[in-house]
Amino acid sequence: MLDFCKLCFTFGLINLTDMKSQFLFPTWTRWLGLALFLVHLPVIHIWDTYHIHSYDDGQLFNLSHLFFIITVVLMVLGLFLIAFSRERIEDEQIYQLRLSSLRWAIFANYLILIICLIFTNNKADYKDLLRLNLWAPLLLFIIIFRWKIYRLNRSLKPE
Amino acid sequence: MKNSLRVERAIKNITQAELAELIGVSRQTINTIESNKYVPSTVLALKIARVFEKPVEQIFILEDGD
Repeated sequence: MLDFCKLCFTFGLINLTDMKSQFLFPTWTRWLGLALFLVHLPVIHIWDTYHIHSYDDGQLFNLSHLFFIITVVLMVLGLFLIAFSRERIEDEQIYQLRLSSLRWAIFANYLILIICLIFTNNKADYKDLLRLNLWAPLLLFIIIFRWKIYRLNRSLKPE
Repeated sequence: MKNSLRVERAIKNITQAELAELIGVSRQTINTIESNKYVPSTVLALKIARVFEKPVEQIFILEDGD
């Protein structure tokens, strides 16, 4: 545990002093992430049209469960790669935007979560809540981060 | 905090993009520093000062409100 803390702490220190060693994926993984996310859409469609969830017999790794795993893994991995791929020039301003976007995404996510918890009292809804929380923080982060970068580029003054 | 980055750049006759490349940041960052919208870290300020071969205080100046 102590070693793990040390490792995290070291990562933190490196982040502050050297922008190159930030723990982010290479830039090209953004497109891979986008591809994975797009691939998951038809899989979801198959799930819905063939009523695969009706095959659920409560067993682990049955057809319904496998489809669930595939869709969730594709979607979350896709969003994760989009969210945490390095910008072409990842400098300290981008790092700052990244952090503040992450903060807003978490704020918004918990607001949505609390509202959802207040207005649900049905057991079945909790599964939807879990699903919502799988993608909501990442998607919110991506949208806010891209919006901030767009705003930054718009605000540039001519030389 | 204000800065004389634009003037120093004019003296040295380099563009924002060239300065950005010299210190390894994006042109956007140089642009926002020049228009006082972004305060660079100490490391970045020192790197900029090194490019212009001047002390940091000559390029970045504290204002009364700071």
